[in-house]
Amino acid sequence: MIGSRSPLHRIALTALLWAVALLFLIPLLWMISSSLKSNYQIFEIPPRWIPNPPRWENYREALTVLPFHTYILNTAVISTLTIIGHLLSCTLIAYAFARLRARGRDVLFVVMLATMMLPYPVTMVPLYVLFQRLGWINTFLPLTVPAFLGSPFYIFLLRQFFLGIPRDFEDAARMDGANLLQILWQIMLPLALPAMATVAIFTFQASWNDFLAPLIYLQKPDLYTVTLGLQFFRSTYTTNWALLMAASLVTVLPVVVVFFMAQRYFIEGITLSGIKS
Amino acid sequence: MNLERREEVNFYLCISPWLLGFLVFILGPILASFWFSLTRWDLLSPPRFVGMRNYTRMFEDELFWTSLSVTVRYTLMYVPSELIGGLLLALLMNQRGVFGIRGLRTIYYLPSVLSGVAFVVVWMWLFHPEAGLINSTLARVGIDGPRWLTNPQTALTALWIMSLWGLGRTALIFLAGLKQVPPELYEAAAIDGAGTLPAFWNITLPMITPAIFFNLVLSIIATFQTFTSAFVATNGGPLDSTLFFVLYLYRRAFQMFTMGYASALAWVLFVVILALTLLVVRSGRWWVYYEGEAR
Amino acid sequence: MSKHFRLWIALLLLAAVAVGCAAPPVTVTQPLVVTATPAPLPEGAKIVLRVGTGDSGEGLTPHLKIIEMFEAENPDIQVQLEPVGSGDYYARILTQIAAGDPPDLLQIGDDAVPLFVDKGAFVALDQWITSAEYPLDTGIYLPGMLEPGQWNGGQYLLPKDYSPLAVYYNKTLFDAAGVAYPQEDWTWDDFLSAAQALTISDADGKTTQWGVQLPGAWTTGFEYWVAAAGGRLISEDGSTFLGAMDSPEVQEAVQFYADLYNKHKVAPPPADMNAFGGGNSEFDNGVAAMRIFGRWPQAGMKQNPAIDLGIASMPAGKVRANVLFWGGFGISSLSTHPEAAWRFLSYYVGAQGAEVWKDWALPAVASVADEAGLTTDPIEGVWIGELYHLAPRAYVSTPFWGQTADPALHRVLETVILQPDADVAALLSTAAADAQKALDDMNE
Repeated sequence: MIGSRSPLHRIALTALLWAVALLFLIPLLWMISSSLKSNYQIFEIPPRWIPNPPRWENYREALTVLPFHTYILNTAVISTLTIIGHLLSCTLIAYAFARLRARGRDVLFVVMLATMMLPYPVTMVPLYVLFQRLGWINTFLPLTVPAFLGSPFYIFLLRQFFLGIPRDFEDAARMDGANLLQILWQIMLPLALPAMATVAIFTFQASWNDFLAPLIYLQKPDLYTVTLGLQFFRSTYTTNWALLMAASLVTVLPVVVVFFMAQRYFIEGITLSGIKS
Repeated sequence: MNLERREEVNFYLCISPWLLGFLVFILGPILASFWFSLTRWDLLSPPRFVGMRNYTRMFEDELFWTSLSVTVRYTLMYVPSELIGGLLLALLMNQRGVFGIRGLRTIYYLPSVLSGVAFVVVWMWLFHPEAGLINSTLARVGIDGPRWLTNPQTALTALWIMSLWGLGRTALIFLAGLKQVPPELYEAAAIDGAGTLPAFWNITLPMITPAIFFNLVLSIIATFQTFTSAFVATNGGPLDSTLFFVLYLYRRAFQMFTMGYASALAWVLFVVILALTLLVVRSGRWWVYYEGEAR
Repeated sequence: MSKHFRLWIALLLLAAVAVGCAAPPVTVTQPLVVTATPAPLPEGAKIVLRVGTGDSGEGLTPHLKIIEMFEAENPDIQVQLEPVGSGDYYARILTQIAAGDPPDLLQIGDDAVPLFVDKGAFVALDQWITSAEYPLDTGIYLPGMLEPGQWNGGQYLLPKDYSPLAVYYNKTLFDAAGVAYPQEDWTWDDFLSAAQALTISDADGKTTQWGVQLPGAWTTGFEYWVAAAGGRLISEDGSTFLGAMDSPEVQEAVQFYADLYNKHKVAPPPADMNAFGGGNSEFDNGVAAMRIFGRWPQAGMKQNPAIDLGIASMPAGKVRANVLFWGGFGISSLSTHPEAAWRFLSYYVGAQGAEVWKDWALPAVASVADEAGLTTDPIEGVWIGELYHLAPRAYVSTPFWGQTADPALHRVLETVILQPDADVAALLSTAAADAQKALDDMNE
């Protein structure tokens, strides 16, 4: 994976990567194709890649039949708050689990993992009752406040990466009189950038695609999120596949854009030597 | 205050948000669900205490065993493939000097974004017995493909194939791990004249064991709770061949109105996952290497 | 690098503060009536009625229209529609009911009525129907509209919309094969021979056109075949499946249905057992001549250039029969405004509501259907005519249909469709025993 490469090698590698990419593009291409069909053409046998004629109006209709701008705004507010919450809380908690010695730490860590092991359907009802008592139904609070109190998945993820960072830098900083927060901010975070970016991407996607929680806690249509909006193309016995497809593709765009942007934190060169200076 | 004591105080201060969240939002519902598992509860009228009845009933419940077996078999299939496939994909994402690498990474990640209901259409078209992409590709090389979604022997495999499209998520975590490997190590290896494969084996793999460990634990926890893909794509059929444990549990809770029994099922699953996770966590001492571990 | 990152964090924090200050939905600004005791209304305040519905998308338009009309006439009431698309509706309302916080009015499908009512989720409407102030004439409805909302002799829900089954047929394919269109009094034999005449194979023996697209292992739709064979799935008193679900009549119904797939091969095999109706799309693609289903996809079929649409009644077996799918509204027993809820409900299910509904689905009120010319319409008239042949549903005999017979029957249907050599009698006897065991357990 290192060293000089011949141009031929590079061309072959590029070709391989794009061939694999084609495999991963198939579902997307088919969704795009379906979104441009009329409803009865979607399950046409044999299937047709190029819709004839393409129904571009599906997109206009899908986005005007429901107030998607409201849904997108709501979802953006929730997602932004959730990302901030996770980045703040999980970093701190993960650092403690990775670096600070304390009695009960390992037991608490397993307890934390264990909270991920009970299937959601059976805690949903008591959780709803709890939020209802707090008067949080029909607000974004049940969807955002818990994010500021950490989430096991991301805490575990960041802990793993913090554990992968050598202690020398911190020890040096500590000698210079840096406190815990300064060490976290100035040394650990820059070194864990790819992991932090992963947390942000996953959180954004999970929050953007979350369905069950908004379904339960948001009952007023003007608070609905994108996923709740998408449900409106389905009813018990029929589904408007073409419009569902068009709306799904448009609403997924922000996730793709965020992913594309967040990649800047995956670039090469986070070298340990660079930090020392 | 001595150093050790201060470190301990700092630890509890740092994790206090999680402790607060755990005590306020998580512990209560967990205890409540355990209480429900000792009752009969249809969600419409008040729960009625029945002791351990829900737990003893499971032994006679054929679908309990079916769904447990489906879930275990799927986990055995999916977890290894997720780890190996995810790592391979991450190695592809980590290539330098390739035209359009940022676009490529986005493309690899895309299918895991495109989940949900809209995906059903893709699914049906892929696996359609006569006209589907998979069977028509197989036919070109002279293989008569199965009726994927109506054959109890192949439906679980079809779900597995479908899920592999979502490898981008796992790969991203591996990629973050790969990015954390200090390039100096490779440079040193190159000077020593080590080839690509030995470098991967002796440097990359040990350095990303924390990421492997994370993905293994999470993959076990998540795969045992597989729900959405089966709920959307097969709804447990045909003939219960894709009836995952949590799908059965959901059905029991919200479609058959037996929340008490569903809660008991949840606790059995909890114990199974916890036991397996503890096993993996213990084993971690032998094979996970942390650069910054406290000795 | 790290400089950028910290900048991002700072920006995000700023954004959070800005959002927190500017966006009202983040803070609790929408007080809702969630307490169990009714709060005294200040002078001039409106009663807020919450209405839960499983309808979605364009299906919400009639709801909103009726609400608008009602609010104009009743300025003291404000109606808040809380819609959830598709099957997730039940997970939400069950959670709300368990937490003591459901909407005042709830929409429920016919199959869920007995359980919800039996467990006390709805209030009886009889006293309201006969009340002096807001009476409702229940004689206005088409046949079969009231029964699905009844339990133990009381009326708990009233009709919103409905559909029986019918046979869709493609006139183009009938004409091409020289087969006469179905007659109103046709039988299973007529149906089978039409299906056979319309099934066409190419030189390799590969079927290129199918006689009829069937709805797969759809249990609630299957009850038509049982009723038409003169059978029933549960004893009349609702106590036992033994001797009913495994009776010769039910065997005959299952056998006939399975033979359409596997012996006569006039029905396309399912492509996906989970997708509604087996994932088949042959009728829409113009390669199946008939399709058995409810009225729901009819509007789409009318626009489909591959279909010249005709509608026929369900063929008669031993008896002429059909089954109804029905959705209705009732008042939650936890509602703190039962009177306001009744005023809206009676408006909704009365002639005014039906006047709006007729443009979206079949209206439940007879005079509205007549005046709109639906009763004599060559297509809509068939659907309404089928209401005069409805058989009672098995699930009006037990609140536990969904926990007992439904899964057992689903397994039978899946098996006979997927496995041509399945022993129908043995399967049904196992299914009846399984269902009975589950029923005894539920009654415990």
